[in-house]
Amino acid sequence: MINHQIILFMAIPLAAGLISVTTAKNLFLSRLIGCVSLGGMVTMGVILLWLSHRDDVIYVSQLGNWQAPFGISIIFDSLSGLLITAASTVALGAYIHSFDMLEPDIERRYYHPLIQLLIFGVNLSFLTGDLFNLFVAFEIMLLASYALLTLGGTRKQLTQAYKYVLLNLLASTIFVMTAGMVYGMFGTLNMADLARIVHEIQADPDRELPTGFTALSITLLLVFGLKGAFFPLWFWLPDTYYTCPISIAGLFGGVLTKVGVYSVARTFPLIFAVGEGSQLIILIIAVASAFTMFLGVLGAVSQHEIRRILSIHVISQIGYMMFGIAIMTGWALAGCVFFMIHNMVVKCALFLCCGAMEKHAGTDDLDRLGGLLKRDVFLAVLFFIAALSLVGLPPLSGFFGKLVIIREGWPYYWGTLSIVGLLTGSLTLLSMLKIWGYGFWNPTPKAHPIRTDAPTVKRNLKAAYTGIVFLVGTALFLGFAAEPVCQVALRAGEQLEDPVPYISAVLRIDPDVLRVSLEAPAAPQVTLSAAAEASP
Amino acid sequence: MTFVMAVCVAVVFGVSIYMLLGRELKGLAMGVFLLGHAANLCILAQSGSPVLPDGEGLKAPPVLSHGDYEAAAHGGEALSRMVDPLPQALILTAIVISFAVMAFLLTLIIVSARKTNTLDINELGKEQLPTPSQAH
Repeated sequence: MINHQIILFMAIPLAAGLISVTTAKNLFLSRLIGCVSLGGMVTMGVILLWLSHRDDVIYVSQLGNWQAPFGISIIFDSLSGLLITAASTVALGAYIHSFDMLEPDIERRYYHPLIQLLIFGVNLSFLTGDLFNLFVAFEIMLLASYALLTLGGTRKQLTQAYKYVLLNLLASTIFVMTAGMVYGMFGTLNMADLARIVHEIQADPDRELPTGFTALSITLLLVFGLKGAFFPLWFWLPDTYYTCPISIAGLFGGVLTKVGVYSVARTFPLIFAVGEGSQLIILIIAVASAFTMFLGVLGAVSQHEIRRILSIHVISQIGYMMFGIAIMTGWALAGCVFFMIHNMVVKCALFLCCGAMEKHAGTDDLDRLGGLLKRDVFLAVLFFIAALSLVGLPPLSGFFGKLVIIREGWPYYWGTLSIVGLLTGSLTLLSMLKIWGYGFWNPTPKAHPIRTDAPTVKRNLKAAYTGIVFLVGTALFLGFAAEPVCQVALRAGEQLEDPVPYISAVLRIDPDVLRVSLEAPAAPQVTLSAAAEASP
Repeated sequence: MTFVMAVCVAVVFGVSIYMLLGRELKGLAMGVFLLGHAANLCILAQSGSPVLPDGEGLKAPPVLSHGDYEAAAHGGEALSRMVDPLPQALILTAIVISFAVMAFLLTLIIVSARKTNTLDINELGKEQLPTPSQAH
């Protein structure tokens, strides 16, 4: 039964997390458990993704066999599958990298269980089909991320953590209230059931969506925007991500903000951007995406420390994903999905390269760096590939997502978003060349000679290189074997654009009957709510 | 009743935002705690009958009535007079989560107070002179 096998995406990290609490003092055993769990999830993700694509099915598991609108549904479709696989890959890379980067006694302070619990939260939020459960998943993920952010407890980390913790608490509180309001309005929290109700009302000219539905959508956009670092809400990100240990920063930069973007991509085309308010909401997303792209990259160009450049770059790339969501055609959403998985992998790879550069030079300040090309050609090649992938040069992975999004966006808003996107791309190149030029090409500055011995550093970085090579290899795979990944992403885009397969898979309604009731309201409606009405 | 609830939610929210804007870390923690309460009250206030005009949404609580036959014999009102249990389940979950977050926040405050000898946000932000031992 593949349908129920998807539970393993939560069960494996939870079990591994709990087991590694008991083995926290034994580094080797903890690392082994962590690698097995993350590697297992990558393998399982790839296999299930392939199977679901081949058979064209959406795997649904109803927890505890409570049927859909009453219980919690766990849904594995192409979007969830791609993101889970990418997130596990990124986590595995960053995890292996961290063996060299973390002090052993920091690692013993429950670093391994925390990583597993973080992945547990991330996977749950990708898989869940219930709005309130999404909140619970967010909280699991965030609580683990609070602890990881303050791991080691330096003063800088502690002071910056307040900003992150308080803003996320505020967002979570608003989220839980909004979920309560959604329940008050529609009497259900299941996303498929919500989508069915909203689309049925939308199709019927005699009925209107309840008052305040648009306000509800905008509140949710605010919540997801805070988690995903959209334009006016991104101020917390550059201050927090650069403080924590570099492998953790890479994992956060790769995975966490994408969960916010995923939530928008999942709920808005399905539920909240339907009806008369949708024009307004889409306009808000479009404007925010333009500002996010452009201001993010300007911030990156203005910085002079690698960690800060990369952190602010995370924001700029979020803009492209929102751009894809704002266009909301099947192809644009597919481009958004492809761009998301590409960005997770590449962004994390760049952070990991930054970690290795710091080990060489002892700093990430570009004024003090230099001459790394001579010291470490291998690292330079890896960084170069990752940086050009981020910029999106044609054979590499960033190109395909951007191409689709920009081409799809051309007819909308007089092409302004596409132009901003292209401009942002060129500025991205500039900021990456800045790191390349100062860090690798320039000679070592005379005032700050590098005192460490290059071969010793390289010898101590074996695990770090393994992690970087793994992620850069994945990025190359995404670029050179884009065809199969694009096929899956395209299917994800279609599933997002057309809600019928998703709803019918979760609620177990015949798709043809459902399509009739969503499109021709005069026909008799065979729905669950009608059945529930009849029972009392 | 709805009005009273709305006023309660507004007051609790106002107080918690006021405390969140303060400079004292302990006050901040209390503000966070109150914020959670405000959200829970808000869910409770929302949990009446769904506002959809007619037909759509489940008006009755999502309980599969095991004892419907007897209920019908005694007037058939049992289920329709029951309170919807789901919002309370939501609130219970939210309370548990806010306990966990509160525990973390208090721990963070204790650790940072030990490290910096202050409970004031301004003091905390002021001295960020990087020392060599802190360099990542």
